[in-house]
Amino acid sequence: MEAGAQASWIVPAAVFTPLLGGVVAGLSGAWPETRRRLVLAAASILTVVLAGSVLVRASSGATQSVRLVKMTPQVWIHLRVDRLGALYGMAAAVLWLLALVYSFGYMADEHRLGRYYAFFMLSLAWTVGVAYSGNLLTFLVFYELFSILTYPLVVHEQTPEALAAGTKYIVYILIGGSLVLLAIVYAYFLAGAQDIGSPLLDLGMGRGQLLVVFWCFIAGFGVKAALVPLHGWVPDAHPAAPAPFSAVLSGMMVATGSFGIMRVVYNVFGVGLVRELAVMKQVAALAAFTVVFAAVLAMHQDDIKRRLAYSTISQMGYVALGVALVDAQAATGAIVHVANHAFMKGALFFCAGLIIKRLGVRSVREMDGVAKRMPVTAAAFAATSLAMIGTPPLAGFVSKWYLGLGILDSGQVAYLGVLVGGALLAGVYLLPIVYRMYFNEPAPVVEGSPLAQAGAPEAPATMLAPLAAAVLLVVVLGLCTTPAWSPLQLAKAAAEGFFR
Amino acid sequence: MWWQWPHWLPLVVLVPLGAGVVTPAISRKSTKAAWVWAATAVAATVGASLPLVIRVAQEGPFSYTFGGWTPPYGIEFRFDEVSAFAFVVAFLGALAIVFSLRYAPHALDEARIPYYYALLLLNLAGLIGFSVTGDMFNLYVFMEIISLSGYALVAISGERIAEMAAFKYLVLGAVSSLFVLFGIGMLYGVTGTLNIADATQRLSVVADTVPVAVAVGSIVLGFMVKAALFPLHVWLPDAHAIAPSPVSAVLSGLVVKVGLVGMLRLYQVVYASRAVDLVTLNRLLTWLGAASIVMGAFFAMFQDDIKMMLAYSTISNVGYIVMGFGLASRYALVGAAVHIFNHALIKSALFLSAGAIIYQTGYRRLSDLRGVGRGMPLTGAALAVGAVSIVGIPPTAGFLCKWYIALGAFEAKNAAFGFALVFGALFIFVYYIRMLNAFYFQEPVRAEVTHVGDPPLSMLVPMWVLAALCLAMGLAGKVPLTFIEPVVTRMLAPTGG
Repeated sequence: MEAGAQASWIVPAAVFTPLLGGVVAGLSGAWPETRRRLVLAAASILTVVLAGSVLVRASSGATQSVRLVKMTPQVWIHLRVDRLGALYGMAAAVLWLLALVYSFGYMADEHRLGRYYAFFMLSLAWTVGVAYSGNLLTFLVFYELFSILTYPLVVHEQTPEALAAGTKYIVYILIGGSLVLLAIVYAYFLAGAQDIGSPLLDLGMGRGQLLVVFWCFIAGFGVKAALVPLHGWVPDAHPAAPAPFSAVLSGMMVATGSFGIMRVVYNVFGVGLVRELAVMKQVAALAAFTVVFAAVLAMHQDDIKRRLAYSTISQMGYVALGVALVDAQAATGAIVHVANHAFMKGALFFCAGLIIKRLGVRSVREMDGVAKRMPVTAAAFAATSLAMIGTPPLAGFVSKWYLGLGILDSGQVAYLGVLVGGALLAGVYLLPIVYRMYFNEPAPVVEGSPLAQAGAPEAPATMLAPLAAAVLLVVVLGLCTTPAWSPLQLAKAAAEGFFR
Repeated sequence: MWWQWPHWLPLVVLVPLGAGVVTPAISRKSTKAAWVWAATAVAATVGASLPLVIRVAQEGPFSYTFGGWTPPYGIEFRFDEVSAFAFVVAFLGALAIVFSLRYAPHALDEARIPYYYALLLLNLAGLIGFSVTGDMFNLYVFMEIISLSGYALVAISGERIAEMAAFKYLVLGAVSSLFVLFGIGMLYGVTGTLNIADATQRLSVVADTVPVAVAVGSIVLGFMVKAALFPLHVWLPDAHAIAPSPVSAVLSGLVVKVGLVGMLRLYQVVYASRAVDLVTLNRLLTWLGAASIVMGAFFAMFQDDIKMMLAYSTISNVGYIVMGFGLASRYALVGAAVHIFNHALIKSALFLSAGAIIYQTGYRRLSDLRGVGRGMPLTGAALAVGAVSIVGIPPTAGFLCKWYIALGAFEAKNAAFGFALVFGALFIFVYYIRMLNAFYFQEPVRAEVTHVGDPPLSMLVPMWVLAALCLAMGLAGKVPLTFIEPVVTRMLAPTGG
């Protein structure tokens, strides 16, 4: 164990609490709904508390490290938390809690809830595991579990469309996962059993081999991170999945790919080596293309969830761009954008889910006058859209500010156009929805929709509460940027560490 | 210490052999007696094999000479790390026999049940003998015991289609045995000894290596038919799919491994003696291994019968192992050797759960079994664990082999095969996803399968013991890996011996 690392039971507890919650949920088939909700909420809140205390410790600069079990004679399953991992794990825990509470209302009349909640909680465990991975094998274990075991959530509706989307999802994810596996095996072969920390690879290992490893990593994680042209699964999987899962899918799962890219660039290769290899120019170009291309496609989507899915692709392009600029400011922007985007996109999908559930409409053209029927939801959607575009003082502005600084800092000024263009396009694909909500007259009531039956279109408080919390977080993340445990300061400190 | 008692080694073979022979006589009155007898015998076998594994882990390889006649003149049993396969055989055999308690009366005529247990015990005795013998001719004899009892077990249901499958198995099995015998004969001609250790020493000073090369080629060919390596696999799918499910578990998990354990034995001799250069053969095996992975998966995709899918999946997994042998680097060999053990566990878990599903529902086609995951939650979950494990999702047992063999490919400076392995494995996902999709996510065609309920405990327990091992052996992968490493170290040792 390296100097300065603390062993702490909190780190594995943050992984095993949701894992246990998932197992309990899987066995809870015959339980009364209230008891199941209480147990799951308790597990999820406990996870947030644990991840929070890990975050607070990490923000003071301590590295927390626990070895769990020796999987091969050389390699441990090893959890080790640095600032980047702590921030990512915390964002996941909070977003999952919000989505879980949202699920209680949203999924109430759905089938096979035991299965849904089980895999939902398990996916949180795997995400926290990815965030806290201490070496590449551990990363791979959690990453693959996470990729494969979310399949039941993608196909949860069991409609032919959901199954088709699931097939597309699993094919993309498996191919990406195989590339990641190969890259990790190759990196392990070159570097031996080392922990994530100081860069694992160095130029002495042969340029050709390093390039193979690098591009395998980027292609593999690029599938998850939805880098164009590897993004095909994202627009199909989101509309098919239940809304609370779409929220975490967009908010955190896609970001797992971006997180992987960060680990590769900062921890596996190291800033010095990627500069030496001169590979980031291509990645940056790809990321910039992703930002613009996905935003343009988003404009043309009629299904609101599809439009949001394309928006996710575009936003993850920002993250990849921030990493690819190889600059401390840009890295700060990229890291903090993962956390910010999680709550922005989470809130937007919560809104979309409410509108679909309560009004029975999912086409953008049918959004006319939503604000009259669902004022709270519409207000949340409008505020989050502004944040997504990057309006100060909301969360999206913070990350884009640092990305912009990084672009200027690294002297690749052309990407400033991409940054601004992407933000403008975000306005073009989000604001018309807001406009329709507020300034168009509502369409006649859809026959047989919940609206026609109940007459009270606004969602119940159980679903509005997580939405309001997400919007509040978007505001807080934009305003509250100075404490040491705030995402921005953590991201700054993490980036400084990587660029030292 | 109690585990050092020398006679454990002969006992572990003689107990199931003797018990098997007398089973029909014991159980003339009731079939229940046959089960009790077989279960007792196999429990005793597990008990006798355990001290052997402890001893080899503590002290390294050891020998037993019958009647005090020392080799090369006497018969020798030699127990090294590879022989620990005997323990896996006894353990899986025990689970298969427990599983058979309810399954056999359902699948077979009552009159045949005593013979069923007799054959199963003989088969296990052959497998154990095969893995512990230190003598080439006895190797052949035990191989024949395995094969003959195997043919009979495939045919035991007496259905016409079973007889056909058994006949196909018999013809190819007999031919492959002939190749092995021919090779052993040639080695005997060259060295003048049948004892493996002795032959190794004499081979290292043989001047004319052409006959040795022919012998090695012939034995490998024979063993690869037994292991069902593509394109020598044609006998396997029918035989494994049609046999009663506990037998399928034994055949797919263990009997196929005869060829692979045999290969490991042969390679130990050839590597240690440096008599012939294996580079060309290894390259061929690597290619065939890769082809086997892909083709096994390819055939499986078009199956609708769940046991047929599992049978083809064995061909893919044999491909992994043979590819590991062919790459011949340290990591690859360790991965291949460990996967011989792990695949036995995983595939048995799969066949037993498939058997339980067939027992409960009466259906064996995927299209009829839609929604069965809801009807049989515990069985479905065990099958899902097995499926996740066999496609190599970390941290399950199947992942270790992928990790090690891919590492081995890089180590052998043959990165392309690492890619072939991992992407070939993607094809395996295709039909397991199809299977899980049908079980869990598709609307049922037969309404009754969604409420059949889980099978009795005598089936659930063996199935879940294996499913739990699929997980545990991955997480605790260090244990099998460190256990098997000395073999590979000795094989690749520069000085020989």
